[in-house]
Amino acid sequence: MSFNDVREVQEKLEGAGYVTSREIATVVFLASVTDKPILVEGPAGVGKTELAKAISRALGLQLIRLQCYEGLDESKALYEWEYAKQLLYTQMVKEKIGDVIAGAHNLKDAVDKIASHEDAFFSERFIQPRPLLQAISSEERVVLLVDEVDKADPEFEAFLLELLSDYQVTIPELGTKTAKVIPYVLLTSNNYRDMSDALKRRCIHIYIDYPERDLEFRIVKLKLPEISDTLAARIVDAVRAIRELGLKKNPCISETIDWARSLVALSVESIDSRVLADTLNMICKYRADAQMVKANAASVLK
Amino acid sequence: MVNAILKFVACCRTAGYRVSTSEVVDCISQLALINMLNEDEFRSVLRANFAKSRREQAQFDRLYRLYFHELRQDIDLDDTDATPQKMDQLIEQLQKQVRGSENHEAILDFLSGDPMGFLELIRRVQTEEADPEQGRKFNLGPLASRLMVMVQLNDTRSRIDRIIEENPFDYREETRGNLRRRFREQMDRAYDILLREPRPHNEGVQQRTHEQYLGQLGERPFSALTPQEIERVRELIDRLVRKLKDIMSRRYASSSRGVLDAKRTIRAAGRYDGVPIDIRFRKKPPKRGKIVTLCDISSSVFSAARFMLNILYSLQECFTRVHSFIFVNRPVEVTKVLEEEEINHAIVKVLREMDIDYNAQTDYGETFRQFRKNHMDTLNKKTTLIIIGDARSNYFHPEDRILEEMREKCRRLIWLNPEPESAWNTGDSEMFAYKAHCHELRECRNLNQLVAFVEELIL
Repeated sequence: MSFNDVREVQEKLEGAGYVTSREIATVVFLASVTDKPILVEGPAGVGKTELAKAISRALGLQLIRLQCYEGLDESKALYEWEYAKQLLYTQMVKEKIGDVIAGAHNLKDAVDKIASHEDAFFSERFIQPRPLLQAISSEERVVLLVDEVDKADPEFEAFLLELLSDYQVTIPELGTKTAKVIPYVLLTSNNYRDMSDALKRRCIHIYIDYPERDLEFRIVKLKLPEISDTLAARIVDAVRAIRELGLKKNPCISETIDWARSLVALSVESIDSRVLADTLNMICKYRADAQMVKANAASVLK
Repeated sequence: MVNAILKFVACCRTAGYRVSTSEVVDCISQLALINMLNEDEFRSVLRANFAKSRREQAQFDRLYRLYFHELRQDIDLDDTDATPQKMDQLIEQLQKQVRGSENHEAILDFLSGDPMGFLELIRRVQTEEADPEQGRKFNLGPLASRLMVMVQLNDTRSRIDRIIEENPFDYREETRGNLRRRFREQMDRAYDILLREPRPHNEGVQQRTHEQYLGQLGERPFSALTPQEIERVRELIDRLVRKLKDIMSRRYASSSRGVLDAKRTIRAAGRYDGVPIDIRFRKKPPKRGKIVTLCDISSSVFSAARFMLNILYSLQECFTRVHSFIFVNRPVEVTKVLEEEEINHAIVKVLREMDIDYNAQTDYGETFRQFRKNHMDTLNKKTTLIIIGDARSNYFHPEDRILEEMREKCRRLIWLNPEPESAWNTGDSEMFAYKAHCHELRECRNLNQLVAFVEELIL
């Protein structure tokens, strides 16, 4: 499953409920054709994670998500041996051991005979695949989302390199596993720290900013078809004005939508300073921010 | 097409981007897949491959506009007068006149559509490091070389005017008017590039305000505290430190006893035939990182820096290591003294005995240069670098590129500025030059701000 041209990307993503700019669509299209991962950067709440979800919906692919955090290691990201299961199997086949070592004349022979069977316990049967291995070993194309990769340690980033350049991973006991179908990979980053050059080099980079006015308007209309054009336009203008105030945390797109949704639920027709004050906690998550917006209500609602 | 891209890549590299060959190959193969006549698509392919962080995008956009829009005027379709060829003729004439002067030739190349030489020249001017061999320090270097280029630009401009006046190829009056206009536009652009260096976008930088904490005292600027108040502040700090340590140790104690790790217990029990003799617990949380502080101790800043050091050293066990440097015009390592002595004595001792020239002028550029030379190995990916200073560098070269190098070496770079935010970038403050390279930037004038910062740092 992939896209044929940039136009189609835009249409399909919009069908999946995600309105994009041409730039984003171009990058998505290129990534799907050239099998390269996308590194998505941008402020919180502009729809970085949502982009991956929309792609998976648009192409009808399964989404595998790996949430990164400090201290994430291979056993949580790639695979883990299931010790308990191995132990259980050992208990169950205990009686069989007699058959295996039957005919051995001394201890060395017996150990050799057992050793020739040890593959049975380090086989795929006892592997618990984690997101990365799932994505690699999937029979069908999947969308792999590595979320907030900047939160993971630099060591983990280095480990990702093998995966991203060759789409293969190495499990010491089993050897190297190569992807049957190359997954569609997206990495998102909040700019908490810079990614290494080696990682950047392997990715196509895109920075998603707060959307242009028209784009945001279309997003609101798409998510809330019942909203009137004038109200949607007022909401978008107000949010854009609020972003200009320089708050601690700028309202993001999802908050714009939440606010629009609550205004529709309250069946408000136009926004005045009273409505703004009443519904402010939908868009401002700090008290200082809320006070600042209230103080500047006149310029916000202009 | 490939040629045009390669030339653009060369420009990017001259302007300081690290563009690898594999990225160029990717970019060219991707261009074949899109509709190149649509400029949005074309630009996003270039941008996605060459400017891979937000901080680089502002400059990339300018370079792109320059290269693909402003210099390529010879593609003008309705130009029947063949102005470009005539421009070339004139430039050739001029080249004969200025043979030998590298800068002049770069400027003429720029006029004829090849900006490489000129960009290189500008980059040299902007990133020039002061000559460390110089006996006396001289902070006019960058200014002087910029002036030099400006003079050469003016010189070229007057030569062009003269040659159009002389009219060696007998052009019509209208053509000459066209030429004059074209050349003037191009020269204006060259000026623009010289004078306006775009600051990188950096929305990632965090600037937070703070809650009220310890009442009025916490809001007083450090510089306005009386001696008695300083004692009070010390008491407050002591109390705070005890509280923080309590919180920290509680976290450690509970987590080291921690949750039973069933998986590892079962596995260990395997050795005793399934009897869980050896009970395993989850590990302690990972150790705290390393801290490196770099404190300006010129009088204006030191009152804030000493409290900062005071708190950090009282909390030493929360970090694996605290390295400290102080500087006026070069960094001096004071880690040892601060570790061995009680903190307040240590500070007095440092000020009295260390080899520091208080009468020197504060020089951030020199400090960064020395730091890079002697102490760069204290930074690694587990280090948080905290710089405390007002960024007032007496108009010496700020060396913000070295700060960028330092940013790349460490995990986080945090700048605490004891001046009110409204005073940043006034006078000789270089705060905005440094701002682009910090992960976090805070005003730190009083105890509340300091406390908020430290709490966030360790909890």
